[in-house]
Amino acid sequence: MIFSPTVLTPAEEQLRTEVRAFLAIELPPGTRPGLGLGGRHDPEFSRRLAARGWVGMAIPTEYGGGGRTTVERFVVVEELLAAGAPITAHWVAERQTAPTLLTFGTEEQRRWFLPRIAAGECWFSLGMSEPDAGSDLAAVRTAATKVDGGWVLNGTKIWTSGAHLNHFFVVLCRTSPAEDRHHGLSQLIVDLGAPGLKVSPIRYLDGGHHFNEVVFDDVFVPDDRVLGEVGSGWRQVTSELAFERAGPDRYLSAFGLLKHFIAERGGSFDDAQRAAVGRAAAKLWTIRQLSLAVARSLERGAAPAVEAALVKDIGTVYEQEVVEVLRYVAGQEIDPAGPGMFGRLLAEAVQTAPAFTLRGGTTEVLRSIAAKGLSR
Amino acid sequence: MTGDTDAVAEAVGALLRDRCTQETVSAAESLGWAPALWSAIADGGYPWISVPDAAGGVGGSVADACALLEQAGRYAAPVPLAETGLLGGRLLASAGLDVPPGPVTTAPSEGVTVARTGSGWSASGTVARVPWARQVDRIVLVADAADGPQVISVDPAATRIDPGANLAGEPRDTVHLDGAPVEVAPAPPGAAEALVLRGALSRAALIAGAAGRVLDITVAYTNQRVQFGRPIARFQAVAAHLVQIAEQTEAVRMATRVAAANAHDEPSFLDVAAAKAVAAEAAGRIAAAAHQATGAMGMTREYELGQLTRRLWSWREEYGGERVWSTRLGAALAEAGADTLWPTIARGATA
Repeated sequence: MIFSPTVLTPAEEQLRTEVRAFLAIELPPGTRPGLGLGGRHDPEFSRRLAARGWVGMAIPTEYGGGGRTTVERFVVVEELLAAGAPITAHWVAERQTAPTLLTFGTEEQRRWFLPRIAAGECWFSLGMSEPDAGSDLAAVRTAATKVDGGWVLNGTKIWTSGAHLNHFFVVLCRTSPAEDRHHGLSQLIVDLGAPGLKVSPIRYLDGGHHFNEVVFDDVFVPDDRVLGEVGSGWRQVTSELAFERAGPDRYLSAFGLLKHFIAERGGSFDDAQRAAVGRAAAKLWTIRQLSLAVARSLERGAAPAVEAALVKDIGTVYEQEVVEVLRYVAGQEIDPAGPGMFGRLLAEAVQTAPAFTLRGGTTEVLRSIAAKGLSR
Repeated sequence: MTGDTDAVAEAVGALLRDRCTQETVSAAESLGWAPALWSAIADGGYPWISVPDAAGGVGGSVADACALLEQAGRYAAPVPLAETGLLGGRLLASAGLDVPPGPVTTAPSEGVTVARTGSGWSASGTVARVPWARQVDRIVLVADAADGPQVISVDPAATRIDPGANLAGEPRDTVHLDGAPVEVAPAPPGAAEALVLRGALSRAALIAGAAGRVLDITVAYTNQRVQFGRPIARFQAVAAHLVQIAEQTEAVRMATRVAAANAHDEPSFLDVAAAKAVAAEAAGRIAAAAHQATGAMGMTREYELGQLTRRLWSWREEYGGERVWSTRLGAALAEAGADTLWPTIARGATA
C-alpha cells in the first residue's frame, strides 16, 4: 500500500491561499453551497476559474493547460468542493476526458480539445451506461458501422449527466462484432449537436434534470473523432475507472451540510450532536489524507489501483453516513424549505446521497476489484 | 515516516517476529507478561524511545515511539512498552525525575493527592486500571498537592494492588496508594492532559498494528478455506469483509501516523482526538468483519485471531473510546466555529 502521511509544500499551500481568496469573492456568505458534484452548472464561473489557470491544471502547457502537478490540482479541487463551488460545467471534461485524451488521444485530438477544455469552454458527457449495460460495461450494444470517412452510430445511452448542456460525448460502442466481449469496443467523440442525436431528460428522484437518455439514429462520426485507436475502447475505459476514483469528490459531498450544521446549531449542541460532528470530522480528516497520498503517488508515476478503489469505497460510504448521522442528531422533519440553510441542504442530501455509492462504479463492484488486489 | 522511524519499525518487527510468537503471547496470559521478551526488547533500548537521552532514555521522536507500538500491537507483545517510554518515561523526564532501568507504568490519576510527611512525601488515593502495576519497577502519576500538581514516582511494593486484567489478560490493576512514600517533582503545565493525549495516541498505534495483522490473517484464511469448490474469498460477500478490514486498517494507520508525525514535542489535541476516534471505531468494525470471515475457526482460543481481537476490544476504550474523543472534538470544532472547520480538516500532515 502506498498510503503514507503526505505533507504539502509551501508552494502548494500558497496555491490554496489564492484559491480561498478567489472563492471568498465568488461565493459570498449566504450562497447555497453545492453538495459535491451536485453543484450548479455555471459556465461563467468555469470561465473565471479557467482564467485563473485552475481548470485543466494537469494538462501540459503545450496543450494549453497549466502544466501543474496532480497534487496542485488536488488542492484546487478540494478547495472548490469544500466551498460548494458550481463546478459542474467543466468537471467531467477536466477530470475525466482530458487525462483520457492525454493518454490515448491522437495528437490532433489533443491539440484541438485540450486548450478548449482548459479554457473552461468545452464540456463533455460520458457515454458508458446503457439499458442493458451498467456495471457490466462490456455488454454495450450501441454500435458503429464503418462508412466512407467515418462511422455511423446507432443505439441508446442512459444516465448521461449533462448531455442537455454539454458539447461533446465520449461514447463507448462496438466497432466490430466480437468473439471476445472485451475486444471490438471503441470510444468515439460525438458532437452532442450532431444530426440524428436526440437527448431526452430522465428526471432525478428529486425532480432535478441531470440525467438524460441519448439516442443515436444514424449519427455520423468522422474518422478523426475515434478516440485513439479503433478497438482499444475497453482498455481506455477500464484505466479511466481505475485512476480517477480516489479524488476529493468521493468524500466531500456532505461537507456543506456538516459545515452548516455547526454554523446554525453549534452554539447549542448537545453531547450527541458534538459526538456526531466530531466523528464526521475525524473521519474526513483521515480519509482526506488517504486520498492525498493517492494523489502524491500518482504524481510520482505510480498506478495505485487497489488503493484508489479503497479510498473511493471508504469515502463514499463515509459521505453517505454523514447525512444519516446528522439527520439523526438534528431531529427535525425534513423540509426542502428549511429551516435555515442546514434544513434545505439536509432535504437535498437525503434525496441525493444514495447516488454517492453508485456513481463511478458501485460499492459492490468496487469491492470485488479491491479484494482481488488484496488477495494477490 | 522518516528513515529513522522506518528503521525502528523494521528492527523491532524482526525482533518480535522471532521472540513474540503466538505461544509467547498465550503463556503470558497466566503470568501477566513475558519477562524474557521484555529483556530482549530492553537490551536493544527500544522501550525508552522518545525519552530524551539526558533523562536516561534513548532519544527519538513520538513518531518513532508510535512505530515501535505499531509493531508491539501487530505481535500482541505482552509487555509495558507504551507505559515505560512514551507515557511514563516521558512523564518522569518532563519533571526531571530519574527514569529507572526497568519497566514503569502510568495511568490517568484524577483525585490522587500528595503531601509532605516529615522529611518526605506520601501519596493518597486509588488509581484504577493501571497497566502492569504488578510487574513494573515504578508507578508514575500526576498528583495534586497544596502548591500545584506534582509528578510522583512510587515503588509498587509500597502500595496495595488489586489485580485486574483486560480482555486479553494484560494486567490492568487497581493501585491503592495508602500513604505510600513517593519521589516528587513539580509537574510541568498541562502534564495530566498531555499524558492522556499520549496515552490515546499509544492505543491508536497499538490498534493500527493489531489491525494490520488481523487483515493478513483474514486474507490468508479466506484464500485457503474452500467451500462450494472455491476459496471463500472469491464470494462477493466475503470479499466485502476483506475490503472493509483493509480500509479501516489503512484509515487507522494514516490517522495515527499523521498525529505522531505532527508531534514536534507533544501530540496535539485535534490530531489525537481524530486519530483515537477513528481507531476506536475501526477496532470494533475490523474485529467484527474478521470474525465473520473466519467463522468458527476464528472463535477458538487456539487460533491467533483472538489474541488480536481481544486486544482491539480492550485498547479501543483505554484512554477514551470513540464517543469520548468524538464528543471532545465536536465541542472544540463547534467552539471554533464553522468557518475554521475546513482549514482544520485540510491542515493534515504538517511535518
